[in-house]
Amino acid sequence: MIAIESLSKRFGKVNAVTDLSFEVHPGRVTGFLGPNGAGKTTTLRMLLGLIHASAGTATIDGRRYEQLEHPSGQVGVVLEESSFHPGRSGRNHLRVLAAAGRHPDSRIPDVLEQVGLTPAAGRRVKGYSMGMRQRLAIAAALLGDPEVLILDEPANGLDPPGIRWMRDLLREQAARGRTVLVSSHLLSEVAQSVDDVVVISRGVLRASGTLEQVLGSEDGPVARFRSADDDRLAGALQQRGVNVEREGTGALIARGTEPALVGQVAAEQQIALVELVAQARSLEDAFFALTEVPE
Amino acid sequence: MSALLKAELIKLRTTRTFLALTGVALFISGLLVVLVSSLTEPTEESVLVDVFVSDASSLFILILAVVGITGEWRHRTITSSLLAAPDRVRFLASKLLAFAAAGALLSVLVSIMVTILGVAILTFRDLPLPEAGELIAQYARNAMVAALLGAFGVGLGALVRNQVVAVVGLLLITLAIEPTLQALAPNVGRYGPFSSLPTAAIDVPAEDAGLPPDLDLLSPGLAILALLGWITAAFAAGAALLRARDLT
Repeated sequence: MIAIESLSKRFGKVNAVTDLSFEVHPGRVTGFLGPNGAGKTTTLRMLLGLIHASAGTATIDGRRYEQLEHPSGQVGVVLEESSFHPGRSGRNHLRVLAAAGRHPDSRIPDVLEQVGLTPAAGRRVKGYSMGMRQRLAIAAALLGDPEVLILDEPANGLDPPGIRWMRDLLREQAARGRTVLVSSHLLSEVAQSVDDVVVISRGVLRASGTLEQVLGSEDGPVARFRSADDDRLAGALQQRGVNVEREGTGALIARGTEPALVGQVAAEQQIALVELVAQARSLEDAFFALTEVPE
Repeated sequence: MSALLKAELIKLRTTRTFLALTGVALFISGLLVVLVSSLTEPTEESVLVDVFVSDASSLFILILAVVGITGEWRHRTITSSLLAAPDRVRFLASKLLAFAAAGALLSVLVSIMVTILGVAILTFRDLPLPEAGELIAQYARNAMVAALLGAFGVGLGALVRNQVVAVVGLLLITLAIEPTLQALAPNVGRYGPFSSLPTAAIDVPAEDAGLPPDLDLLSPGLAILALLGWITAAFAAGAALLRARDLT
């Protein structure tokens, strides 16, 4: 499990991350979301011991990264700005990391095959496309067959089939009981593959929980209505298992409900509807609402 | 540590920089020995120093080590290196050992080539050759100094992240500042780690190494100790900086 507790980082006068706390659990894919500059990369680098925290702790299975017995065997990492020597071949890049991480060389052809880079393994990295570099970074993360995967913007540079492959990889890893933390500034990239989300903006936690808890369901309809007798209509809907809330404007909101059902119940109860609309609130809208901070 | 050392040696072998600089060091050393053994008439006493210390590996291993450590920042491979080996001091120590080994290897390669060319030309010209024992002892000193300079280069490179600044600074100190100190302040210049101490450590007179003839070099033993002092200071400062740095 990954545990971030009261983590803060200050660069000079800038608070990059402030009092951030959340957990990432095994067997689940957790999306770490926020706009560019929100503090995601800084948080991940603090978790990996690359940046010194100003306050708080970040641990993996109860230990700081540098205290892990076999760090690259326990944690696979893809960072946003993946780094390669341009003159080294993809295979040799993995040979270096396998040697340093004490992984058997026999893992190299396996991970190259897993990311589909076998035919290009002997080519120098400077000739790789951005997507190939990203696949090589993922191959490096998988070298130690780790129980924890931390990926910073892994879809950058991947084409649509690559993004689908990435989603499948994340789901497969979580299905094997592994802990997967994946950051992105684009909700659409990860919405289909994550179970939980942690949303930050300007270094501050905005929300965390399951995707539906935090952002609502993209597919679920929302009906917004007013009637001549709101209380009676709400009661009738609730008897049918519909969750009804009152908005700040006074209108009622029925989540996971088609407007047609509200109309049908109103007709049955002979209650006049004053307003009935299908409210479109996409995941992106919810995400923006969480991450937008007034100047 | 052995795993990290192995990784560092793979890094060295799998880029063209090491091969290219080795090639240049071999070429320059070979050219020097061919010119000296063809154009001069060394005596039995002077042949060892005149012909067989034509080892240009020192400067090249220094450059190679500085390029090796600063390249980690330039190509941002420092991140993946430290993810594999989070102990930053051990990482730097393994790099230091790798470049010390590379320096010794480069010097041995140069020595083999110098021997082949020098012996062939001197024999052809019917000129005296040095005794085998003296020659081997000289080569051992050369290899040790090359190893020390490889290690020193890593410590220096760890102090400066920018590769261009580091290499230009190294050349400036080696080719301008230390020679100036040797000429104007010889009591300070004799402790210079780029030419004064290496020349003293391989037991070659100052004038034969192109240094001011009146430069009072240290004894070989003291020179080696002084070089080790420079390495320790550079490594300690480099390691402290590396530990404190945020890898953003």
